Amino acid sequence: MKIRTVVSAAVLAAGMGMLVPACGSGGGGGEFRPIDPNAALFWDRQTDENRELLESIIAEFNAERDGIPVKADYVGGYSEIFRKLVTSIQARTVPAMAVGYQSMTTVYAQAGAIVPLDPLIADPGLGLSEQELADFFPVVLETNRYPTLDDGMYSFPFCKSVLMLYFNKRVLAAAGIDAPPRTWDEFLTQCRQIKERTGKSAYAVAVDASTFDGMVFSMGGEVYANGESRFDSPESLAVLKLHETLGQEGLAYQILAHRYDDRSDFAQDKVAFFFRSSSHRTYTGMLIEPEAWGMAVIPQADPEHPKTVLYGPNINIFRTTPEQERVAWEFTKFFTSPEVTVRWALGTGYLPIRKSAAQDPRMQAFWEEWSYNKAPFDCLDFACSEPNVPGWQEVRELIENALAGVLTGVKTAEQAAAELKQGADAVLAESR
Amino acid sequence: MWFRVLIALGGLAALAALHRTLIQGLDRLLAALDALFDALRGKRWRDAPLALFLLSPAVAILGLFGMAPLFYAVYLSLFNSRRPDRPFIGLANYSRALTQPDFWKSLLVTVYYVVGTIPVTMMLSFLVATLLYRIARGRGFFRTVYFLPYITAVVAAATVWAALLHPQDGPVNALLVWLGFQPKSWLLESRGALWVFSGGWIPADIGPSLALFCIMLFEIWHSSGFMIVIFLAGLTVIPRDLEEAARIDGAGWFQATRAVTLPILSPTIFFLLVVSTIKAFQAFNSFYAMTGNGRGPQNTTQNLTVYIYANFYEFGRIGYGCAVATLLAIGIVVMTAVQWRLAGRRVHYE
Repeated sequence: MKIRTVVSAAVLAAGMGMLVPACGSGGGGGEFRPIDPNAALFWDRQTDENRELLESIIAEFNAERDGIPVKADYVGGYSEIFRKLVTSIQARTVPAMAVGYQSMTTVYAQAGAIVPLDPLIADPGLGLSEQELADFFPVVLETNRYPTLDDGMYSFPFCKSVLMLYFNKRVLAAAGIDAPPRTWDEFLTQCRQIKERTGKSAYAVAVDASTFDGMVFSMGGEVYANGESRFDSPESLAVLKLHETLGQEGLAYQILAHRYDDRSDFAQDKVAFFFRSSSHRTYTGMLIEPEAWGMAVIPQADPEHPKTVLYGPNINIFRTTPEQERVAWEFTKFFTSPEVTVRWALGTGYLPIRKSAAQDPRMQAFWEEWSYNKAPFDCLDFACSEPNVPGWQEVRELIENALAGVLTGVKTAEQAAAELKQGADAVLAESR
Repeated sequence: MWFRVLIALGGLAALAALHRTLIQGLDRLLAALDALFDALRGKRWRDAPLALFLLSPAVAILGLFGMAPLFYAVYLSLFNSRRPDRPFIGLANYSRALTQPDFWKSLLVTVYYVVGTIPVTMMLSFLVATLLYRIARGRGFFRTVYFLPYITAVVAAATVWAALLHPQDGPVNALLVWLGFQPKSWLLESRGALWVFSGGWIPADIGPSLALFCIMLFEIWHSSGFMIVIFLAGLTVIPRDLEEAARIDGAGWFQATRAVTLPILSPTIFFLLVVSTIKAFQAFNSFYAMTGNGRGPQNTTQNLTVYIYANFYEFGRIGYGCAVATLLAIGIVVMTAVQWRLAGRRVHYE
């Protein structure tokens, strides 16, 4: 009797369990639906003043045309947006568009959730003319072409920034240094000098894969080529060795993940340097007087041929309804128009992504306001984008573990490079 | 005006009539159910229909929000969710999990956490509860004080702990330096806590990392309030005369506790053991809030729940995440069954 009861209960429960997937979308795929059928929902991460500006741009766009409106929805940081999208894709209910990095776009594209943009760009009525396309800085468009997806354009540039070196003039002056380092050798020498003369750690490290990539680029190397990672290259090893030395000699310290202690420590003169995207200019400026700090190109192996990393999210347009997809594309075009890109750059600190915007008198006046305002824009010519191949999102975690490992002395640079190479190649092979 | 009053009165009369009809209908329905149950009661089914009827709301809620997601997760674990066509791959996600070093490392982190927190929290809580039980004045005050951490939101409390343990600005390191010790990296330290506290004498890869040790300390602090209150409730129902009889027979505090208090408290201990083990296997909030990403330095705080979360949300491996979640659920069921089997025998309910 007891066994019979248990068995019948299990059968009943199993039946209930199997019923749900049979009723739902299940594991077999299907059409995507919009989360909000009455608005083109835009999942974004902007906060504070940036958010207000974005809302006003959206309001202008909605006022200029009929049909369903664009509605911005703050969903959290890039990682939160990605997490939410991954589950939304699974549920087959998605927003009309969202911001994201290239590594995230490959995941959405693999799931068949986003719209390829080449047909929209080439569309005679909706698309962009040759002249308009030529007005974009080439690098910001190139970064949105995906070699593993037939070199198609699956995202469109939205906000762009570059990796910069932030330097505290007061700490440098206290250490007898009058200019930020131009090479990595100079950087290490200055870090030692700061430690020796002020007793302070020179550099607050926010362990980040993009920063690592930018450093490798500046050493003259690559992080990915021909379907494989390049973490065994001399340049990757040099970056790891640099962090090993910084950690061993107490010249740098790591901050907790997902925090901005580097920025606040910098503003309190606890460190001389931190590396972050140029979009941090606005936030840093709120914490420290303009005459006490500056921004520069990150140190280089060869300052005559500089490189840095191109940051900034792109827009992904999701498969919803033809109307929502069209509105999302029209908004993307509107947002990246020369007039709006100037306003966005002036209001947020992101870089103008169009050449004509860079010629705008308001932009020129802004660059003259503070001597370092133009420094990030000058990096645009030599900024390189990070790999946009499936699996890179997972590789980023491996990079950060390797970097933290050498910085804290858990691993040697050689050991970390070998493990990173092996782990990254395994992930990339599996994601193909 | 009069027209509106007339309409209102008419409406009220209609409502009254409707109400009467509804009441009569409900009466008839209940009478019919009574008759049905009476008719069935005499047969083999006895009270089963009534029982099923009364159970149905709970079954529906549990089925919809408890069982259905569980089975759906099992279902999803059989597919490769990273492809647009989501092909059926059978048990491949399970075999992948069992061959992944990260899975086993996460399991080890989970085991460290369970073994490192539950016995300590239970012993500590029992001792505090015993002391509180013995004091006459201020028991309510101290009980409230000990219970406060438990009612504090985990994320808020964990964030405060992370600030206390901040490597550069944290008061804990400031105190260590003031006392003449070296500051520690705490939540950024991937090497073993035993290595750190033994001055490097014990190998760095033995035992939980210092970061995990900090989370375990937090959990002990946070959970002990709940256990103290439960233990206190258990202690208050122990008849005083039993303990007094043991004392008269010459038993000391330890003997009285071992021979009288613990056996009578055994249902309470068993309940706390089962509940806290399940909770420890599912721990997530404190891990995430204290380390910023849950994984911690070199993934040394990545327990199975964080591992599931990372695969599910950060790497988009829905099927694989579901497979590991299913394995974790099976593990918890097995662990609970073992506890029932082993510890359940030592429980005295009278």
